[in-house]
Amino acid sequence: MARRDFVRVGGLTALGLGLGNFLGLQRLVAESKAQLSPRAKSCILIWLDGGPSHLESFDPKPDAPKEVRGPMTSIPTNLNGVRLGECLENTAAIMDKVAIVRSMTSPLGEHQFGAHYMMTGYKPSPALVYPTMGATLAHLRSQIGVLPSNIAVPAFPNLVSGSGYLSGSVGPFSVGGDPRSHDFKVRDLDLYAGIDLARLDRRLEFVEAIDAFESEKNASNSTPTDPDLVRAYNLLANPEAKRAFTLSDEPEALRHSYGWLDSGNNNIGQSCLLARRLVERGVPFVTVNSSGWDAHADIIQLKARYSTDKNGLLPSLDRAFSTLVRDLSDRGMLNETLVVVMGEFGRTPRINSNAGRDHWPNCFSVALAGGGIQGGQVVGSSDSLGEFPKERPVTPSDLAATIYTLLGIDPATELQTPDGRPVRVTPDGSKVVSELV
Amino acid sequence: MKQTIALLTALTCGVAQSSASDRIDFLNDVMPVLTKMGCNAGACHGSAAGRGNFNLSLYGGNPQADYEAIVREISGRRINLQKPEESLIILKPTFAIDHGGKFLMDDDHEGTQLLLRWIREGAEMVTHRELERVEFTPGSRFIEQADVDIQLHAEAFYTDGSSKDVTPWTVFSAEDSSAVRIDNDSAVATPLRGGRHIITARYLDSVAPIEIVIPLSNEPIDLAGQSSRNFIDDEVLSLLAKLRLPVSPQADESTFIRRLYLDLTGRLPEPDKVMAYLENQDQNKKEELIDELLRTEAFNEYWTYKLAKWLRMGTDPNDEDGIATYRLWLSKQIEKDVGYNEIARNLILATGNTHDVGPANFYRTVDGPREQAEFVSELFMGSRLRCANCHNHPLDKWTQDDYHGLASIFSKIESAQIVRVKASGDVINPRTREPAMARIPGEYYLKDKTKDGREDLVEWLIADDNPYFAKAIVNRLWSSLMGRGLVEPVDDMRTTNPATHPVLLDRLAEDFAANGYRIRPILKRIASSATYARSSNTLPGNTEDNRYYSHALRRPLEAEVLADAISYVLNIPAKYQGKANGQRAITLADPYTPSRALDILGRCGREESCEGETSISGGLTRNLHLLNGELINARISLEEGRLARLFDADTAPMDIIDELYLVALSRTPGSAERRFWREQLANMDSVEQQQRLLEDFMWSLLASSTFNSK
Repeated sequence: MARRDFVRVGGLTALGLGLGNFLGLQRLVAESKAQLSPRAKSCILIWLDGGPSHLESFDPKPDAPKEVRGPMTSIPTNLNGVRLGECLENTAAIMDKVAIVRSMTSPLGEHQFGAHYMMTGYKPSPALVYPTMGATLAHLRSQIGVLPSNIAVPAFPNLVSGSGYLSGSVGPFSVGGDPRSHDFKVRDLDLYAGIDLARLDRRLEFVEAIDAFESEKNASNSTPTDPDLVRAYNLLANPEAKRAFTLSDEPEALRHSYGWLDSGNNNIGQSCLLARRLVERGVPFVTVNSSGWDAHADIIQLKARYSTDKNGLLPSLDRAFSTLVRDLSDRGMLNETLVVVMGEFGRTPRINSNAGRDHWPNCFSVALAGGGIQGGQVVGSSDSLGEFPKERPVTPSDLAATIYTLLGIDPATELQTPDGRPVRVTPDGSKVVSELV
Repeated sequence: MKQTIALLTALTCGVAQSSASDRIDFLNDVMPVLTKMGCNAGACHGSAAGRGNFNLSLYGGNPQADYEAIVREISGRRINLQKPEESLIILKPTFAIDHGGKFLMDDDHEGTQLLLRWIREGAEMVTHRELERVEFTPGSRFIEQADVDIQLHAEAFYTDGSSKDVTPWTVFSAEDSSAVRIDNDSAVATPLRGGRHIITARYLDSVAPIEIVIPLSNEPIDLAGQSSRNFIDDEVLSLLAKLRLPVSPQADESTFIRRLYLDLTGRLPEPDKVMAYLENQDQNKKEELIDELLRTEAFNEYWTYKLAKWLRMGTDPNDEDGIATYRLWLSKQIEKDVGYNEIARNLILATGNTHDVGPANFYRTVDGPREQAEFVSELFMGSRLRCANCHNHPLDKWTQDDYHGLASIFSKIESAQIVRVKASGDVINPRTREPAMARIPGEYYLKDKTKDGREDLVEWLIADDNPYFAKAIVNRLWSSLMGRGLVEPVDDMRTTNPATHPVLLDRLAEDFAANGYRIRPILKRIASSATYARSSNTLPGNTEDNRYYSHALRRPLEAEVLADAISYVLNIPAKYQGKANGQRAITLADPYTPSRALDILGRCGREESCEGETSISGGLTRNLHLLNGELINARISLEEGRLARLFDADTAPMDIIDELYLVALSRTPGSAERRFWREQLANMDSVEQQQRLLEDFMWSLLASSTFNSK
């Protein structure tokens, strides 16, 4: 049997039996209403899991008392009067491309709740689990090519369901593995020993035959072959798409400049590089998940574990984020790629008895770059201790509305829950942060 | 505007001088205005934090607090007794001054006039009569076609025997606003399409559903030929007739036996069982098969697995001894067909060492008395009490006193490895800011504080006249066999979310109670119905139906059942970490037993009671694993496997196809299917090539939606 290296669209034309419009016409209808003119084609969300300290990163308080200021110093940036935490020296040099919101505020100081609020724009509710921004985007945009529309590198944080009330197929596809390793591979993307593509192709054809025969007696197609089986096949059968995951194609120098040898579980540099390769190939939403930010003890460890260590979380973030922005800019992709750096909340302004900081949702920071945003600005401000917003409080709902708007989705767009309830993309009352768009 | 107010003042002054009993009644006149205009809705001043520093109780659940908020807070500026028309509660909703909630009513709106009169009379907490009940009409209405206006009506009845038309102060809202248009000014509902529609009516804290049924087609339908085996069929057919939905025929025998085996035992029927059933000419063979399956060990195993999920067994991953003891206890209850009322009694009253006393682990499922109250209400009452933690439930009758009162009953339970009743324990009711009084939800307070309140709770819960207990479990059992609860979601039973077939739910619950609350008789009743045995093949005219049972709903197999079924077809058992080779997935007591296969197949964690596994779609990760991973590939050609044995016995290729169809789908292929497979085989040049093709066929069978569903 001839190998098929074109995209299968499903359907057993030989038998005259189609698979039906399993992706649903509704989606197309919704899409036509939902789309504004997008500035950004794609979004890379750098998720700092655990809740990053705003005081050591984007909102240092050099003039505050020692117990608030913490053990690190701050540095000037290329933006007059704006300082960052001392670890963010590369970011300081590209501040003209970055916007910081220093007045994020939320009432939810628990990981799961905070993550749900930040990633979906909705406070969690027992009645309904909301989809994350990546899932909504995947739902509203038809998939281009064979790469999934919503990808997590290396794996989506298990705090949040991902697809919420939308179909599971728009949930994030976790690539798995460790992008730092030389033999990094996406799990189950390579053929099983002894099975070639021709046989997989035949297997797929047989599945479709079995299901089509079963559905034959039906007025409607009640047992359509799982569309994700076809998507999976299309992905693994497409060498060009698979190539997206081949990090070894990248020049060594660039790999190092993203940060390659980060310590511990920290693989944010290579994850960001992989994210760039994915958006380059048209993937609309990539979540880079960086863990370890829940610094209840020894906040200094965000900088380094020992004096010569340059691979703490903050320096790694600095390298990865600044290189990503430069790299996107060099490739002419920055204007169409929105990069967002955030976690579920900030940390307590006062250092605790373990020299760490606890959860603090009342005030924290988010950084954005690219995607047509106005860089070189700080939106809002916190009070002198970083405890509460001083000016222009921004809620996670407002932030979500802003991100959706930048991606060309009207926040007032209504989606349907499985039981037919219309739900807005972001909550009623959420306001776009106009300075950013 | 000034003129209007002057005119109003003249009018209201006249009224104020009339007799005392004509004075505006705060509870029965003012509060309904606040509810009707949406002032106390969750999105406005009814939210937990209020709006603009003005906080009302949600939908007027606490009139006393609302009175204080209106009359006393912010130094009484909301009320201006000297110049009533300058009171904030007049100026704001009429948008005479800026109002976050914008314009709600004009100066001569009845609501504005009422509030003005009340202020003019002194803005006092006056009430003349006590509301007894409200009658919303029509309760249920059948109409021939859509686009007909239906007048809605609400009549309040008071304890003094008087009554009043309160339609203008009633809020009517459609469950699906795209199906029914409602004009709240005239209280007219206009259904826009066929089907069964629900309108929720609310007056003060009385809430009730109004049902409108409209046929889905104009074609008359004759259901006289449909067989009815028991009351289930009577009820289902009667609604189908009203809706004029065509009814799919009975499923063929192969489909039926596969469905029945999977539903009652979680296993595929073995080929000889299938053949024996197909060849059996006995009129009663269906009933006999059901009885036979209800007696099997496989039934015990599968229903232990099902109930363990509902009980969320195993959330404490560190206590294997406890889970094992608990699971063993549950399987004994199923084996002995112990009534569900007794199971509930033993669970709720349990104390002791969780490593010895199985049911004591019930108190280690969730952490804390409030969580326990939520768990118990969802499990045994099918009610989501949790909304009532922070405010009275907006769509149900549950109050904060109910929620914290039930939590209070569990507040004395100490749930470590030894579960025991402490001498004291409290939960704070956020409404009163004091320890909550133990309370049977929706009923009465428990006076004797020294007593273990769980005994009262159990006696009330499992009494024959308890309105929730039997229905909650029967609805879950129905959902297990039919693919959809009569009430959906199954743990959200409330007046405003009525069953699709209310009488059927009542009758099932009565039947269940009459048979000692045992699950076998009710499962048999459902499985014996013609409704259960219907084909999932749809007809033109009933394809869209997903709730009236005009055809069977195709359902995905649960992860563990699917994993076991794959192992069975391959004839190679799976191996789970730390478990004996061959242990089946549905018998794993710990839902966190490490297994990539089970994770990929979408097993349920136990954070929730796991209902509604409705999607057959498995996502990209699962399908990549099916294609390239070990789940099927690693076992398909092993020499002790089913396929290798068939090869070894020199079975003819077409016979292998037949055999695999029979094992996996409980049927033999039809003639078109045979032709298709014969052609495929004919294209192969060698035996080896044919064997590769048969491997691919077997793989495809296991990956098909047909195999993955029932």
